[in-house]
Amino acid sequence: MKNNKGASGPKPSGKSFADISTRALNGDAVVMTAMEFKEFVKTNGVRKAAKEVDIVTTGTFGAMCSSGAYFNFGHSDPPIKMQRAWLDGIPAYAGLAAVDVYLGATELDDSNNMMHGGAHVIEDLVRGRAVRLKATARATDCYPLKEIDTFVSLKTINQAVLMNVRNCYQNYAAASNTSGRTLYTYMGKLLPDLGTATYSSSGELSPLLNDPLYRTIGIGSRIFLGGGEGFVVWEGTQFNTRVERTPNGVPKRPAGSLAVLGDLKQMTPEFVKGLTFTRYGASLGLGIGVPIPILDEDMARACAVTDKDISTAIFDYAQQTRARPVLAEVTYAQLGSGEVDIRGRRVQTSPLSSIYKARKIAELLKRSIKKGDFVMTEPVQRLPLDRSLKPLDTRSEKEAMK
Amino acid sequence: MKTKLVLNFNPEASNLPITHNLIAKYGLLVNILRAEIDEVGGKMVMEVSGKAESIKNGISYLKEAGVGVRPIKEGVRRDDEACTHCGVCISICPTKALTLDGKTHKVVFTEEKCVACGVCIDACPPRAMEILI
Repeated sequence: MKNNKGASGPKPSGKSFADISTRALNGDAVVMTAMEFKEFVKTNGVRKAAKEVDIVTTGTFGAMCSSGAYFNFGHSDPPIKMQRAWLDGIPAYAGLAAVDVYLGATELDDSNNMMHGGAHVIEDLVRGRAVRLKATARATDCYPLKEIDTFVSLKTINQAVLMNVRNCYQNYAAASNTSGRTLYTYMGKLLPDLGTATYSSSGELSPLLNDPLYRTIGIGSRIFLGGGEGFVVWEGTQFNTRVERTPNGVPKRPAGSLAVLGDLKQMTPEFVKGLTFTRYGASLGLGIGVPIPILDEDMARACAVTDKDISTAIFDYAQQTRARPVLAEVTYAQLGSGEVDIRGRRVQTSPLSSIYKARKIAELLKRSIKKGDFVMTEPVQRLPLDRSLKPLDTRSEKEAMK
Repeated sequence: MKTKLVLNFNPEASNLPITHNLIAKYGLLVNILRAEIDEVGGKMVMEVSGKAESIKNGISYLKEAGVGVRPIKEGVRRDDEACTHCGVCISICPTKALTLDGKTHKVVFTEEKCVACGVCIDACPPRAMEILI
């Protein structure tokens, strides 16, 4: 990419990001939710939509496993440099200095109790509850304390920041099961013999599916995060642009993702939820919303995408390999109908992503922008267009350096 | 009329042909929802349909036979605050008691259709479903 700074500029006839931001700040911007915008385009066409609409709000709510939060607890007296730390019994990573720890959403205690993992502790904190902090340390001359056992809450913690390395996946795999036994996976409970198929994307409402080539969502974009405000801070891990796309650029497989960050103290339990996937583990149910400026007709066309235009593959989770076989190619409209065809069988479908909450997020974001509470920001750097996904193989030291 | 009953069996009662008698002698339609019974007794959840009088007589018969009878209004309860309306439960529910409303996009729980099979309990990520029997 030649110029990766800021949002991709509009076509000559279009509007600039700055124009749209100014209009939004003055309360003059025309803001629509993704749902409303798609209806508007159906009736009025792309050209009129590009001219008349300034901002489209998108939303998604689903299990986002690669999430977690870091905390700074303040210093004890005498001080401690925590080496091992637990929040309500869940281990937090303390390999940072002194009283900073990172709690992963999928972390479990030693008994592997999946009903209460890192995500549940994060939800408890967001609910305003106190959680038990235990830490141990090797005493030093500057940090003499060897252990501490106390309670903390968002009122006592200095910084409590949700920092997620991979959220908001742009498209996702769907899952079914050809084996003779029920499978318990991160895609939910998959009944045997193609008993069910599950999928996990808010489809036409999902942020990155409305901006498939990352023209406006980039590093520095302010977003709705868990009920508060956050930012896109980097490309998400496993960001992969080398997947097949439709002529409009919509990926047919998991592609981009976002690394996001935001103040946990602003968030609400409605959009930050500890989840349990039986025999898989804990995960964080999280709501994310991103506003998209309609710079030009191309952007309007991108945001007009509907579930009929977005497809994914149903993979057979009975195969315990990273290259799971594809059982069927389907659109989100088909998945959303409640039933899909797999090998001539009618298979019932279930979403894992809450469309109800995704729509609510798009509505809330629209309202905040119109009130001037949420100020849209232009990215300071674009997301990459040249990432591939490398596998993890067992290699020799030499092979790893090739 | 239709009602759901929880039956508790002691060892003696577990050997009686009570289902047969409810059908044959009291003219009731019996749908067994759950049954966990062995030689030391156990529990059965059933839905019985028929005339109000027949159900009343059927229940009297069960009590006389030494079977503990408790009518239940609900077998599974949803915590509406915990439910995120994701919909993961809708395809695994065998009686379509859990469905997605196309307009509100919320998961609707129709208790009358629920047979308390319990398949939704451990499938629900926010653990919003609870089995009461």
